[in-house]
Amino acid sequence: MKIASIVTYLTIALLSIGQVEAQKTFGTRNGQIIFQSPSDEDVKAINNEVSSRLLDNGTLTFSLLIKGFKFKMAEMQDHFNTQYLQSTQFPRADFTGNITNIKSVNFTKDGSYPVQVTGNLTLHGVTQKVAANGTIVITKGKPLAKANFPIQIKDFGVNAPDVTEKVTIAVNCQYQ
Amino acid sequence: MKKWMKVLLLAVGIGLIAGLLLVYWIFNKPHRDVAKEMGIALSAQQLYDSFRTNEASANSQYLDKAIELTGTVADVSTNQEGQKVVNFSTNDPLVMINCTFKTDPGNLKAGDSITFKGICTGYIPDANVVINEGVLIK
Repeated sequence: MKIASIVTYLTIALLSIGQVEAQKTFGTRNGQIIFQSPSDEDVKAINNEVSSRLLDNGTLTFSLLIKGFKFKMAEMQDHFNTQYLQSTQFPRADFTGNITNIKSVNFTKDGSYPVQVTGNLTLHGVTQKVAANGTIVITKGKPLAKANFPIQIKDFGVNAPDVTEKVTIAVNCQYQ
Repeated sequence: MKKWMKVLLLAVGIGLIAGLLLVYWIFNKPHRDVAKEMGIALSAQQLYDSFRTNEASANSQYLDKAIELTGTVADVSTNQEGQKVVNFSTNDPLVMINCTFKTDPGNLKAGDSITFKGICTGYIPDANVVINEGVLIK
């Protein structure tokens, strides 16, 4: 009886692994995300160590480390980490979401496909729903994800009234 | 009276110069140079193990610190800015120590064992421990 149930579980487990493998996953450990103030060109930070996964069913995740953001000015980078984003207390930002119109993307055909993305963004320990329009560009079967969308930093408990209220998040991730 | 004026002028002058120096320093403060720092010596596996077992304690030990890491190269690539990126293997095939180099570490291939210094920016579960500003030691 016991052995029979173990066999059943194993079979189910194996079957579900089979199903996961039937889906195609694209990943990168070094995608790019830029935080930019729309009102001040100098307030710009680049992160080139974004881990992201894109499944051909539309599931999309991004994770990055706040301490990986580089500013041109070292002093600005210090303020960003210590005063505004408290990156020692909240080292990571995560997004999990979906491409809602994934059916319109043909992963096997080169081209540029407009997409709508919705999901949850966790930044500075606060999770908020976000929505963005973006583009998936397929080149030789490899996708590139691009998007540009604003967030109100107050929504994430970040107060920097002297610096900026809005931050534009620019995503540019080439998958393998 | 005259002496008093001189002292005041001198004080204002010093204040002005100090202010200008401060502004200059804020705009030109150099970025951190990890090559000049002492690194915490670790193997790639040790670094991953400490993040996997207790992320919070590993964060307090290694986050923002100079790390001198020794590991086996899994793959070498270039990021979207043209910098060299080296992944070091751990005992989990899905998890890498991901290092972006500030200076070109030269020709490396999978299987090479190297030691380098860099700054640890943290851990992304099921993906990698991230180190940037890497400089090759040997």
